[in-house]
Amino acid sequence: MMDRIQLYSFRIIAYALYVFLLAPLVCIVIVSFNYEPVQSFPPSSWSFRWYGAALQNANFTNGAMVSALVAFGATLIATPIGVLAAVGLWSSTSRVKPALEALFVAPIVVPGLVTGISLLVALSAIEIRAAPIKLLVGHVLIVMPYVIRTTLASLAQINPALKEAAETLGASPRQTLFQIILPLIRPGIVAGMIFGFILSFDDVNVSLFLVDARTTTLPVSVMSYLQYSFDPSVAAISSLLIGFTFLITVALERLFGLKRLFAGH
Amino acid sequence: MSAVDLKTISSSAPAAPWRAQFGSSSFLVVPGCIVIVATLLIPLAYVLLLSLNRSQSGVIDLNANFTMANYTKFFFSPFYLRVLAKTIYIAALTTALCAFFGAILAMAIWRAPAHLRGLIVIVVISPLLVSIVTRTFGWMIVLGDNGLINSTLIWLGAISHPLSLMFNDGAVIVGLVHVFLPLMVLPISTALDRVDPNIPQAANTLGASRFVTATQVVLPLATPGIVGGITIVFSLAMSSYITPALMGGPDSGMITTLIYQQFVVTFNWQFGAVLVAILLTVSLVLVGLVLFEFTRRTRKWMVRQ
Repeated sequence: MMDRIQLYSFRIIAYALYVFLLAPLVCIVIVSFNYEPVQSFPPSSWSFRWYGAALQNANFTNGAMVSALVAFGATLIATPIGVLAAVGLWSSTSRVKPALEALFVAPIVVPGLVTGISLLVALSAIEIRAAPIKLLVGHVLIVMPYVIRTTLASLAQINPALKEAAETLGASPRQTLFQIILPLIRPGIVAGMIFGFILSFDDVNVSLFLVDARTTTLPVSVMSYLQYSFDPSVAAISSLLIGFTFLITVALERLFGLKRLFAGH
Repeated sequence: MSAVDLKTISSSAPAAPWRAQFGSSSFLVVPGCIVIVATLLIPLAYVLLLSLNRSQSGVIDLNANFTMANYTKFFFSPFYLRVLAKTIYIAALTTALCAFFGAILAMAIWRAPAHLRGLIVIVVISPLLVSIVTRTFGWMIVLGDNGLINSTLIWLGAISHPLSLMFNDGAVIVGLVHVFLPLMVLPISTALDRVDPNIPQAANTLGASRFVTATQVVLPLATPGIVGGITIVFSLAMSSYITPALMGGPDSGMITTLIYQQFVVTFNWQFGAVLVAILLTVSLVLVGLVLFEFTRRTRKWMVRQ
């Protein structure tokens, strides 16, 4: 009897937590269909008008463009560097390997706010003031650790016999890398790229200090919009982002497994 | 022997173990190392050095006249100390709540039948992929004057005027727990995956109820995961900016709020750098203490065995 009560209360808390985790996201989507110009819950009349308003708001559309370009550029730069680093780490038998591993998680360990400030200060010192360049540099640091992580996780699953077989059949190290190893770890690399892209697209902490009045990312412009006004167009743009993220989440879970993506975080 | 001879010999020799051959070429990590050193470590060191310069609004270049004056200013000001204390308090409370609820969620994932597990993992982890700004905005809708909670309570007739749930410390903590809960669940869940399934079975056979098995046999085995989660959540909560900025009241400023002001509003970068240095040091020391205590206890426990 006691056991049953305890198990039920455990289950109730767990369900309450699922609601807690999803409620704010669901509320955003509901409010985005409001007709009134003030946010109220639940909406008294419904419409799509705020989606139109959001898509006509230059702050949001320019922000989305900047965010997409920065995330795309950063992923493009970080992926080859990260994959090489992962393969290097994996094949390394060196004594400095633990130190290298620590170095490669540094961008995750250092808080994003601190990364952003450090880049702001250091890039100003060498007279780099163009926001797009500053953002790109910062976002490479966001993407790279995740590409390394997923690539390492895929490398760890390679059957060493395959590599030995390639060698026995006369493949050079370079051939083994490009024709055996890389095709095998492709899903891991792709998962890392997608994940890194999302984190870069979503980022505020690093970007906050690197944007300027003309070049702002979407999350930063949503953030400053929230500080002054509260109309449902923010809910509309946020709903679009939630939908987009949800699709990618399901894809990542299928492709790689969400828990593996974050393991060791 | 000439260099040419050596080359011929090595290429005609039977293939050395791949790892050894490639291991000698761990130069592959070099580009990555350069990126991190050049764009993270050197800039960070520069900021830490800047904190030792006399503070001067608008001056952003480093000079060689080092002084501790900024640090004295911080440690002798009740205002700054109070903000630091508040930051630690909010981060610690967030971490404790995350640890408690995170353990429950991780156990729920662990106990769930295989066909539901994927769904629960998506529910728990997908918020992590949604921008913090979006998630905080969601809480503004839930807790706002016309929000979900107030509307429901008014509809039920429990209250006649909306309660002010936003813009106070409680709102900040709710928002932060939501932001960091998934990051607590992940390491605990990973640790639970490593628990030998025979152990709970043995506990059951020996007469432990399912609840006792879960809380007193299985969960303690996930302690490394809990400790890992605590260190991650605490250090991230210490440095969170968005949630306190959007949901906090006038007196719930955290150290990050001050940092933002120094760098973006008042342009006093030297004093901002001091705040960054103090934030990093305090987080590191407190996380270090947790890890130290955990290692000490584990060692004691292992000696007892």
